[in-house]
Amino acid sequence: MINFYQFFPEIFILALILITLCFGLFYKDRSIAINTIGFFILTLILINFGKDFYISTNLSLNTINLFVLSKIILSIGSIVFILLSKRPLKNENLYRYEYILFILFAILGSFVLISSDNFLTAFIGLELQSLSLYLMAAFNTKNLKSNEAGIKYFSLGALSSGFLLFGISMIYYDIGSFYMQNLNNFTTISEIGLSLVLISLFFKVSAAPFHIWTPDVYEGSPTISTLFFASLPKFASLIFLFRVYQELNISGIQSLNYIFQIVCAISLLVGVYGAITQKVIKRLLAFSSINHIGFMLLGIMSYQLMSEGTLFFYLIIYLITTFGIFAVLLNLRTVEGEFTKISQLNGLRFTSNSKSISMLVFFFSLAGIPPFAGFFAKFFILSASITDGFFFLSIVAVLSSVIAAFYYLTIIKNMFFNKSEIELLDDNNKIGKAIFVSFGLIITLFFFYPDPLINLVDNLFK
Amino acid sequence: MSFPILSLLILTPIIGALTLSLSSSAQLKNKTIFLSGLWITTGEFLLSLLLPIFYDKTKNGYQFIEYHTWFDKFDINYYVGVDGVSIPLILLTTFLVPICLLCSLNSIQNRAKEFVIYFLLLESFIIGVFVSIDLVIFYVFFEAVLIPMFLIIGIWGGENRLYATFKFFLYTLAGSVLMLLAIIYIISKVKSGNIELISDFTFDQQIELILFLCFFASFAVKVPMFPFHTWLPDAHVQAPTSGSVILAGVLLKLGAYGFIRLSLPFFEYASIYFQPMIFALSCVAIVYTSIVALRQIDMKKMIAYSSVAHMGFVTIGIFTLTQDGINGAYFQMISHGIVSAALFLIVGVVYERHHTRMISDYSGVTNVMPKYSFFFMIFMLSSVGLPGTSGFVGEFLVIMSTISVSVYLTFFTAIGVILGASYMLLLYKNVNFGDLKTDIKQLADLSNIEIFYFSCLAFLTMLLGIYPKLLFEMINKSISMSIL
Repeated sequence: MINFYQFFPEIFILALILITLCFGLFYKDRSIAINTIGFFILTLILINFGKDFYISTNLSLNTINLFVLSKIILSIGSIVFILLSKRPLKNENLYRYEYILFILFAILGSFVLISSDNFLTAFIGLELQSLSLYLMAAFNTKNLKSNEAGIKYFSLGALSSGFLLFGISMIYYDIGSFYMQNLNNFTTISEIGLSLVLISLFFKVSAAPFHIWTPDVYEGSPTISTLFFASLPKFASLIFLFRVYQELNISGIQSLNYIFQIVCAISLLVGVYGAITQKVIKRLLAFSSINHIGFMLLGIMSYQLMSEGTLFFYLIIYLITTFGIFAVLLNLRTVEGEFTKISQLNGLRFTSNSKSISMLVFFFSLAGIPPFAGFFAKFFILSASITDGFFFLSIVAVLSSVIAAFYYLTIIKNMFFNKSEIELLDDNNKIGKAIFVSFGLIITLFFFYPDPLINLVDNLFK
Repeated sequence: MSFPILSLLILTPIIGALTLSLSSSAQLKNKTIFLSGLWITTGEFLLSLLLPIFYDKTKNGYQFIEYHTWFDKFDINYYVGVDGVSIPLILLTTFLVPICLLCSLNSIQNRAKEFVIYFLLLESFIIGVFVSIDLVIFYVFFEAVLIPMFLIIGIWGGENRLYATFKFFLYTLAGSVLMLLAIIYIISKVKSGNIELISDFTFDQQIELILFLCFFASFAVKVPMFPFHTWLPDAHVQAPTSGSVILAGVLLKLGAYGFIRLSLPFFEYASIYFQPMIFALSCVAIVYTSIVALRQIDMKKMIAYSSVAHMGFVTIGIFTLTQDGINGAYFQMISHGIVSAALFLIVGVVYERHHTRMISDYSGVTNVMPKYSFFFMIFMLSSVGLPGTSGFVGEFLVIMSTISVSVYLTFFTAIGVILGASYMLLLYKNVNFGDLKTDIKQLADLSNIEIFYFSCLAFLTMLLGIYPKLLFEMINKSISMSIL
């Protein structure tokens, strides 16, 4: 007898999808409101009764907390994203109701992925998520670059799914189970299989050297889709990667451990070296996200000391900053269309106080300069990794963040020191402005009053 | 004392900056903005004067302590307090910031509101460094100082300001991140960020050496010591006058303060082990940068190089690890903070009138600006180290303490004094004496505001030179604690 109670969040989203499918056809404008309210209710339910859903299962309390917290973050993130998406879509004449369905399917896939205990379920979740992402990348059908991004993303993503399936089948051949708790006593074959699974997951979170798709897809897709790729699905894949690392006890398998460390170091370095020469801001953010993935992998590897708190804290801060930066970018438009080049940021200081100062906060925070929250995120990750003895990786990480500071500073230079060359159209999007101003305040005020955020992470892992 | 004076010192400028930033800029004139900034910083200065008045010089350890849990989970606390080593530097900071605002009253015309806001933030971050006794909060403030300084140089700097400000930022950051790793390692070992607890902890000798080098990387860039000093001349030359003043006056002291406050008490073994290296680097700094300064054609660059040489005295003094040496080094820090700040102001005065910093463009200035030449002479002589001025006491004590280490060291240090005298006198001669150039004739002498702040600085220089006990009373006890 299957206990459907534990699938409540997923069923809830499925219901939202059905409602949107039926009503969205007739009342296009309502679907955003319906889904915002829906996710709001889901968040409230998860906060209040989240743990009850999984009590009947035989999962450990820690895992349950992990599920609940990441689902809460995902559904809050969905609210912010859905609220943010309306205006940019309208501006680009892309405001069709399918888009919100893609978001919902991707979120559903992420939910399934996070709480899947079984590699096949994980595959379904990952594919559900990825297929929506391919469509979102190619959503601007009249734009060649968007089509190119969609096709690139699809073909490479299909390849990586192939790796995933092949890896899963190798593990199944060797051990005879899809369930993660049954997987132990790895032999060479299952280790190879597992490494293929890892490669596929690295591809999904765009860790170097499996990152080649990232800059092109980020650049070609509509900016609002780029924000989605950079935030929520990546978050879900990282959580799953974390679970694989933890539950299969990869730190105990020497060869896979090496793969993890090498990927982490390469991500840190490729991220910063790729970003230095970029002229297009979305490409720069793509490379910068690769660098941050390196930090997150470091956090995954050194979770033992302070539990998952450090990784989660980093992820939350990263999500907030990413949402903030993109909210500013989406609020800026040029005469030709979407905002693309870094040089178009020139002189933003003179045209808009709130945007330039929020950007200053976000980029200094990404660079890890105190007193902004990004510093503490990096600080905790490094504390964990040094305590666990990853000295070399820690040194690589901090040196990469020095190089990273260079290109973040370049953006700040463009905004604060240069005179503007072209006229930026102010979109005057109230929701977007509210989002980036409040996120900027969170990043800044964290220094003065860290308790709420720390306790949020801390209490769930008690 | 339950009155939270240190938090108030940190928060006053921040609150001031917030109120300024929330006021609508369209209605405010530049003068009003600067005046409000001046009121805030002067209030801050008066507030900081309470510290030496209520500080109990007979007691050991920190006073005015405030303790709040900050990151409960990671045992990082907001833990501030002051002792004799930090109070004079706090006073120096609060004293220099109003002067910085005063001297920019005419020169900063565009974006005045931002300028005042950045200076207020800078002030509170610097004070934060001097009052923190927890390593993490120390690092937070130490790094945060970079942000306003980056913007000040980048927005109001000279023609090559981007290069200078990027170099400044990245150099300092690269040094600091190594210190961050060392701090994290120390905290993971000691399980606390409290400076007093860490001083009592003994590390393995090999590890101690590495940790020392990590801290050294950060502080040596900040001081700056010889191979890491190249950011300084660029930053100084490109920065606006007020930026140079705060950079030379206070920011360079952060490194030396870090050596006294952290490196010496944490790593006793490594401090002795690396003594020769630091002496060698400092000697090179003193002799080499003095010779480089001799050949400069840009006034600001010359004073910037002289700063490197003077900070060489400071590092030598600190690492003699004797009471006299550190006392002398500390005195030199304070004295250099006043004198070099004043010298940059001196350059700023003529630059504002004549818009060139080249020495060759000036000649016979004393004919048209006698008051200017008078103040220039006082600060020049103090920089050279004339007895009766503050520069003498520090240099004398440092040189005296080097004899106990090595006579060669004394020799090189003393050469630095001679070279210092030669380039400063040369600068003074070329600018003030000689034939009066025609385009200099219309230069106006010092205004009342300028006379006011130059007299304050000159008074302090003379006071410390004639009655150095004023400072020694304050620092003696705390410094003897740090070399134990």
